Amino acid sequence: MIRAGLITLALSLGFVSASAQDATPPMNVDDFMAIDGSVDNAKGVVQNPASLMNVDDFMAIDGSVDNAKNVVDYAVPSLGNDVPIAAAPIQETCITIMSGFPDNGHEPRYQFFKLTQALTADVDSTLRASLDFFGDSFVTPQTPVTEVIENIANPVFRQAAPEITIGNMGYLIDFALDCETYLSGQIESLEAYDSTLTDVEFNTIIAEDALFMRQILSDSLFRVGAQDHEIFGPSVHAYAGSLVTTRDKIEFSSFETELESLEALYLDDLDGRLARSNDVINSEMDREALANSLEITEDLNQDAKRKSKENMLRTLSRILGGR
Amino acid sequence: MNTHYLKIALLASALLSSACASTATGKRQSSLMTSSATQQLKTQAPDGSLLAVVRYPAVVDSAAKDKFRQAYMASPIGARVSASATGSVEAENIVDSSIVKSNYFALSLYKELAARLPEHSVLLSPHEIKLGPDGKLTSVPITQAESLPSVVTVDFATYSYPDPKKMMNKNQLTFGDLISPMVTVRTDHRAAVPTHGVLLSSQPLTEAAVGNGYNTAQAALTEMQSGRFSTDVPELDFVSYISKGTRKSTRTASLSLNAPENVVQVTPMEKIRMDGATIASLGKGTKGVADPLKPVFSKGFADRIIDIINDTASEKTAMAKRATAISSYDPSLAALTFVGSDNSDYQARYNYVNRLLDAEKKYLSVQSLRLFDGVHNGEMGAQVRDMLKAEYAILEKRRALAKKQNQATALAFLGAIASGVAIGSQSSKEETQCDRYGRCRTVQRPNYGQQILTDVLVKASIYAGTQAFAYKGQSKAIGNNYLTSIVPALEAQTNVQVSLIDSNETITAIRFDDLKDKLKTLYVEKQRALDTIATRCAYNQDGAASGTWMGVCEGGLANGSGVGVLKNANGSAVEYYGHAQNGLAHGSGYMVVHEAAGSYALEGNFTSGKADGVMRVSKAGNGDQLRTYSAGQDNGSASSSSAVNSPFNTIRTGA
Repeated sequence: MIRAGLITLALSLGFVSASAQDATPPMNVDDFMAIDGSVDNAKGVVQNPASLMNVDDFMAIDGSVDNAKNVVDYAVPSLGNDVPIAAAPIQETCITIMSGFPDNGHEPRYQFFKLTQALTADVDSTLRASLDFFGDSFVTPQTPVTEVIENIANPVFRQAAPEITIGNMGYLIDFALDCETYLSGQIESLEAYDSTLTDVEFNTIIAEDALFMRQILSDSLFRVGAQDHEIFGPSVHAYAGSLVTTRDKIEFSSFETELESLEALYLDDLDGRLARSNDVINSEMDREALANSLEITEDLNQDAKRKSKENMLRTLSRILGGR
Repeated sequence: MNTHYLKIALLASALLSSACASTATGKRQSSLMTSSATQQLKTQAPDGSLLAVVRYPAVVDSAAKDKFRQAYMASPIGARVSASATGSVEAENIVDSSIVKSNYFALSLYKELAARLPEHSVLLSPHEIKLGPDGKLTSVPITQAESLPSVVTVDFATYSYPDPKKMMNKNQLTFGDLISPMVTVRTDHRAAVPTHGVLLSSQPLTEAAVGNGYNTAQAALTEMQSGRFSTDVPELDFVSYISKGTRKSTRTASLSLNAPENVVQVTPMEKIRMDGATIASLGKGTKGVADPLKPVFSKGFADRIIDIINDTASEKTAMAKRATAISSYDPSLAALTFVGSDNSDYQARYNYVNRLLDAEKKYLSVQSLRLFDGVHNGEMGAQVRDMLKAEYAILEKRRALAKKQNQATALAFLGAIASGVAIGSQSSKEETQCDRYGRCRTVQRPNYGQQILTDVLVKASIYAGTQAFAYKGQSKAIGNNYLTSIVPALEAQTNVQVSLIDSNETITAIRFDDLKDKLKTLYVEKQRALDTIATRCAYNQDGAASGTWMGVCEGGLANGSGVGVLKNANGSAVEYYGHAQNGLAHGSGYMVVHEAAGSYALEGNFTSGKADGVMRVSKAGNGDQLRTYSAGQDNGSASSSSAVNSPFNTIRTGA
C-alpha cells in the first residue's frame, strides 16, 4: 500500500513539477487580498480566512465572476466586532507560502493543502524543536512548496544529507501548524466547492503520501542519530511508533473499502438470487393440494355427522321400541 | 327435594365446566410472558459474535422418517400413547405436522428478536433431522448460521401429543389456535459451566438438553486434544429428547428475570390458546403481518432471551467458536484470540479478521432474512395460514360438539339421577281410604304423575346418553378426517420447505464459499508478519496426564497465552484458557474442570498449574462466588470487593 502511495506521490510530484514550470507565477499577497475584498491591509485582519482562494479557483467556483466581489475593499472593519485571529506577520507569511502551492486546478491544490496538513500529525513541541535542532536548509516563504516537497523526497538528500530533508520537513510542518487557520479554511472552501474531493479513496491516497513523507522524516532523524539525543530521543521514538499506528489505520481503511465493495457485490447478488429462487418455488407450489385436502376433510366431516346421526336414531329407536 | 335438585344441578354444572376444560382449551398466555416492562438490550455482542440464533426442526430426511415417527411416539409428553394409536396414519400425521408448525412458528420468534436486536445479530438455523453415522437419530444445521459464535442459541419446536383419540384432552397440542411450544436457551458451555451451557428449558427437555450440552463439551475437548478447534454443533435438544440421548441432571430454578447463576430456568409445558379472531383473519393477503403467537408467547420469550443475553454476554460465550471461525483465515492467530494480546501485530491482524467475521455475519443474515421471507411471506406461509384457519374451524366445530356432548352427558346424568331419586323416594304414596261405615285403612297408592315423569326421564337419559355417544364419535371423526385428508398437503409443505431451504442453501453455499475465498485472498494480501504465532505443544497439570496446548510455545511446552486441554484416565478433564509457563497454567486464566460429580470453573490467578489468589468460582446451584485459594486449596470466601485476575480483563484489540 505504501508502495502505491510512493508511486502516487511520484506521479503527483512529476505532474506538479512540470505544471509548475508552465504555471503563471504565484500570486502575491495583494492579489489574495484583492480577491476577498475584506482584508484590512493596514491591520492585517482577515475577516473570513476560509474564503482565501486563488483567483482562478474563485472564478471557477462561482462559474460567473462577480465583478463586485473583485473590487478591493480597504474599508477598515469595526474593531469592536472583529477579533483578530492572526498577527499580521504570520498572516503575510502564510499567504506568501500558500501562494507557492500549485495553482493548476483545484484538485492538485486541495491535494497539496491536505498533504501539508497531514504532515503535522503526531508532531509535538519537542519534536518540532528537534527538527529545528537537527535540520539544516535554507527555505524562504518564496520557495515554491513543490520544491520543498521535492527536496524531501529526493533520495540523494535522504541518504547523503538527511539534515536537509529534516530542514525542509521542519519548514513545511512549521507552516502547517502556524497557518492552520488559513490552511483549513482553504481546504473547507474547496470541499464546499467540489464535494467529490472528500472521496475516501482519494483522501486515502493523500494520507498515504503524507505517511510516506513522515516516514522519510523519521528515517532521517534516525540517520542523524536523533533517537539517541538526551532531550529529543524519546520524542523521536514516539514519532516513529506513531507512524506504525497511522500506517495500520490507513491500511485498514483501504482494506475496509475493498471489503465493503466485496460485501456490496456479494450481498446484493445473493439477495437477488434468493429472492428469485423463492419466487420460482412459490410459483411452482400447488395450492390445489391443500384446497383439495380441506375440501375432502369437510366432506368426510359431513359424512361422519350424517352417519353419526343415523346411528343415534337407530339406537334410540331400538331403545324406545324395544326392538 | 328442592335442595336435592339444586345440588344435582350444581354438580352437573361442575361436570360441564370440567368437561369443557378437557376439550381443547388452552392458557391465555405463556408463563414466559413477563409481567415487567419490555426488556431492552443493555450489552453488545463480543467481537465477531451474533446475539442469538434460532434453531428449529425444518425437515426430516426420508431415510429417517420412520425412525423419527417411532421415536416421537415412544417419547410422549404427558401420558402414554395407546398401542392402537402408535403407528396409525393419523398419529404419524400429527408427528409430521409438528415439523411444519415448528417451521412456521419459529419465524415468529425470529421476527420478534430481529426487530428488537441490532441488525445482523440474529440468524435462523433450520435443522434437518437425519440418521447419524451410528444409525441414531440426530439433527444437523442446514445452513452455516451456527459456524459463527453467538451469545445464545434458542431451540424452538412445537409439540402435539401423538394420539388422535386423546388430542382434544388435556394433552399438549399444536392445532388451530392452540400451540404447545418446546424451547431451550443455551450458550457456550464455557460460559455456563455447571449446566453445560443450558440456561432455560421446557421442563421435559431439561435433562436431555443438559446431556446434549455435556456431549458437545466432551466432543470439543476431544477435538482440542487433537490440536483442532471444534466445529461440532449440538443437535436440537428436542431430537436429543426423543432419541433418548444422554440425560444429565442439574440444578434448576423456576422462571425469573433475576434467576441465580449456574442453574437452568425451567418453564412448564403449556398449551397456549392464541387469539381465535386473529387466526380466523389469517389470509394470503395478510402476508403474515398478523402474528397470533406474538402476544401470547413470542414477545414474552423474546424478553426472556434479551434478559438472558444481558446477563450472559461475555468473552466466554464467544471465544471458542470465534477461534474456530478465525482458524479458517489464520490458524496461527486463532489460539491467541482466547485471551488476546496487546502486541500491535496481533491487534492489527485481529482487527482484520474480526472485520471478515462481520462480513460473514452480514452474508448469513441476508440468507436468514430471505429464508424468513420465503417461508413466512411466500406461498408456504400462506398455505400454513390456510391450514391454521381450517384447523381452527375444525377445532371450533369440535368445541361446539364437545359442548353439546357435555350437555348431553349432563342431561343423561341429570336424568339418571333425577329418575333414580324419583323412583327411590317417591314411587308411591300412602293414602287413607274410608268406607261408608267409617272404616278406614291405609293403602299404597301409585303416584301416576310421578311414574310418568320417571318414564320420561329414563327414556330421556337413554336418549341423552345415545346422543352423547353420537357426538363423541362425530367429534372424533372430525379430527381424524382432517388428519387423514391433509396428508398430501403436509407432504407438499414439507417438499416446498426442502426446496426452499435447499435452494437457499445451494445458492448461499456456492456464493459463501466464493466470498470466503475472496475474503481469504484479501486478508492474505493485507497482512504483515506476526512475530508471535500459536503452535501446538504440551500442557500439563501436576500429576496429571499430558495434555495439548494451542498457543504460544517454547521448548515444546506451553509458554504464553493460549488454550490447554487434558483428559485424565479417570474420565475427568480440564480446559484452560489463559497464560502458561513451562507447560503449566501460570498467570491469569480460566479453568473449566469436568468431573463425575459435575463441572465447575475457576477464574483468576494460577501459579505453577494451581489456583492461587482470589478466584471466581462457578459451581452448580450457587451464584458465582469469590474465594481465596492458595496452592490449589480453597481457603474460604474472599471479600466481594476483591479483584480477580481474569484473563478477560485485558483489552482485546487495543483499539
